[in-house]
Amino acid sequence: MKKLVVAASLAALMAVLATAAWGSTRGSNKVAAPANAGSQLVKCGKTRSIGLMAPFTGPAASIGINQVHWANFYKNSYNRTHKTKIKFVNEDTMLGSANGTAEAVKGAQALGSNSAVLGVVGPAGSNEVKATTGALKGAGLGFVSGSATNTQITLDGTRTGYFFRTVPPDSSQSKSVSAYITGKLKLKNVYIVDDQEAYSTGLADEVQAQLKAKGVTVGRDGVSQQQSDFTAIINKIPRSAQLVYLPWQLPPKGQAFGQQMKGLGRGSTKLMGSDGLFDPLFSKLGSNVYDSFFPVNPSDKRVAAFKKIHKGTELFGAPSYVATQVVAGAIDRACKNGTASRAEVRAQLKKTNIPASTSLLGLPVQFNKNGDMVKKPFGIYHSVKGVFVRVA
Amino acid sequence: MNWSLFFGELVSGLTLGSIYALIALGYTMVYGILKLLNFAHGDVYMVGAFVGFFVLQWLGGALSPAVTGWLVVAIMFVVGMLACGLLGVGIERFAYRPLRNAPRIAPLISALGVSIFLQNSALLLWGPQFRSYDTFDLVGVKSYHIGNNFFISNLQILTIAVSIGLTIVLALVVSRTRTGKAMRATSFDRDAAEMMGISIDRVISFTFFLGSALAAAGGIMFGLVFGQIFSLMGFTAGLKGFTAAVVGGIGSIPGAVLGGFLIGLTEAFATGYLPGGSVYANLYVFALLIGMFLIRPSGLLGSPVIQKV
Repeated sequence: MKKLVVAASLAALMAVLATAAWGSTRGSNKVAAPANAGSQLVKCGKTRSIGLMAPFTGPAASIGINQVHWANFYKNSYNRTHKTKIKFVNEDTMLGSANGTAEAVKGAQALGSNSAVLGVVGPAGSNEVKATTGALKGAGLGFVSGSATNTQITLDGTRTGYFFRTVPPDSSQSKSVSAYITGKLKLKNVYIVDDQEAYSTGLADEVQAQLKAKGVTVGRDGVSQQQSDFTAIINKIPRSAQLVYLPWQLPPKGQAFGQQMKGLGRGSTKLMGSDGLFDPLFSKLGSNVYDSFFPVNPSDKRVAAFKKIHKGTELFGAPSYVATQVVAGAIDRACKNGTASRAEVRAQLKKTNIPASTSLLGLPVQFNKNGDMVKKPFGIYHSVKGVFVRVA
Repeated sequence: MNWSLFFGELVSGLTLGSIYALIALGYTMVYGILKLLNFAHGDVYMVGAFVGFFVLQWLGGALSPAVTGWLVVAIMFVVGMLACGLLGVGIERFAYRPLRNAPRIAPLISALGVSIFLQNSALLLWGPQFRSYDTFDLVGVKSYHIGNNFFISNLQILTIAVSIGLTIVLALVVSRTRTGKAMRATSFDRDAAEMMGISIDRVISFTFFLGSALAAAGGIMFGLVFGQIFSLMGFTAGLKGFTAAVVGGIGSIPGAVLGGFLIGLTEAFATGYLPGGSVYANLYVFALLIGMFLIRPSGLLGSPVIQKV
């Protein structure tokens, strides 16, 4: 029986190591698109299909559902005001769950093989963007994310011409964050905890470098996205740290971290999240909480109309509204002669031009050759009575 | 020496170790009686955490509980432990008992099957999203400072105390009651115990009940201390509980508790002191398992099995 125990233990160990190795895979997924990718013409008809990739379930569902609500908000207003109609083909990416990336790839493959789908909104996370590039690019599909902010995903050339985003990159976010920490809060000692994902480590690296350049003492550590016990790492954070920066994607994890900080008598230390934590779960931790977030015009009439329907103040998904608007616009233009190919839709995505006056972001939506928005500011928010209020 | 960090990691390790110890007790008791590695045990722990969560919701939620916060916690423990005790009995009755005389690999495979069944049922029924116990709102978390270096919260004290308390109760049940005596007899020689009139089925069912109830207590404590529960939380926790049982000496109740604390402390101190510890704490924990196999295969308090040839 001893042998059985040893064998079972080793099998269990192998399972853990295999899971860890699979979870930490960060290949850039460099798959070249076939020469004729997406050149097949389809009849546009009255109803146009758009793939919608988002975390409908899973640890990031709270922000994913918000994105879905905003995307549907655009779809409904479009369907009311146009003769043609939009139909979403939904794919749940389960961002942050143990098999999240695999689910995203499965979803991308399903959209690729659905000939009615002409463009895709999403996916949400930068890691998912990397993982799904092969499948989406191979099928010739253009995809527009309303939340993937990793700087490198538009710069590494892997998905140029296929991938676009309606949020600024982390290089812009890191500048806003470091400027606020040093300029407004005037802090000298900051501790950064990343969550080991591409989005998180990329943003953490940038903020760390910029803070150090400004003479701030910066400590750095990381946690696994699957982790729930943060007490050991909180003990490690020096008491001299004035702010803990959490560039994470999962609001429930940010909430747990903040609660465990309080439990260990560290409730007065400032916490700053990134766009992934822009959620009531995080803001309700208290007035020591800050966050950085995408540009959104809060006085736009559509924001008020959305809040009326969904009874909330969450703006995280607003760029997904714009992403849907971008894809729908590109399909409409490509479909002018009654037929369209995915390649034609991609060409139209590049030509997107939504003026500031009609843009929900409050700035014009145009893409540069890498797929990034030409104008890309980030806002800083402070939690006041449990709600994020813009302060910079 | 940074004493603040040292004491902080010590308390974190003991808190986490208390939870692993409760899981390890179930593994070790079942192994002691049946020589079976019940790999579904981690998932029973997860179900316990969810039962606790639903009891909390049923009692009005953390923000507006129908009774005082600590009474809600007590009810969560009682209902969760009872429900998971019965679940454990059911698992034994339907998944393991029919295979009792089959080759040893059969119940092991069955255990893995039950584990996957429970995990996927939880995913289907409750979804993969995190659920929060909102302990701050429920009982109000307080931290106590002793000097400048020692901090401990009321929930950490509760977790360690409940774990030690339940272990003492278990030890008393096993050493002082007739059922406990029957458990020890069954563990020592099942056939002889049966010939002495002990109902083996009843003893095994009771063992599963106790082990599963302890796992449920661990799951609820996890939710209270760390705030969150999710459908797949049982997998890693189960592996760590199993590791604790093996490190302590599988089949030994004090060994399971010792192993649990050792694993918890390894994880906490690895996070605090070792390079990359916060990310690779699990690597250090399972390295401890391998090291234990190489140095003392029967575990810290286990006795080597003498085989007649």
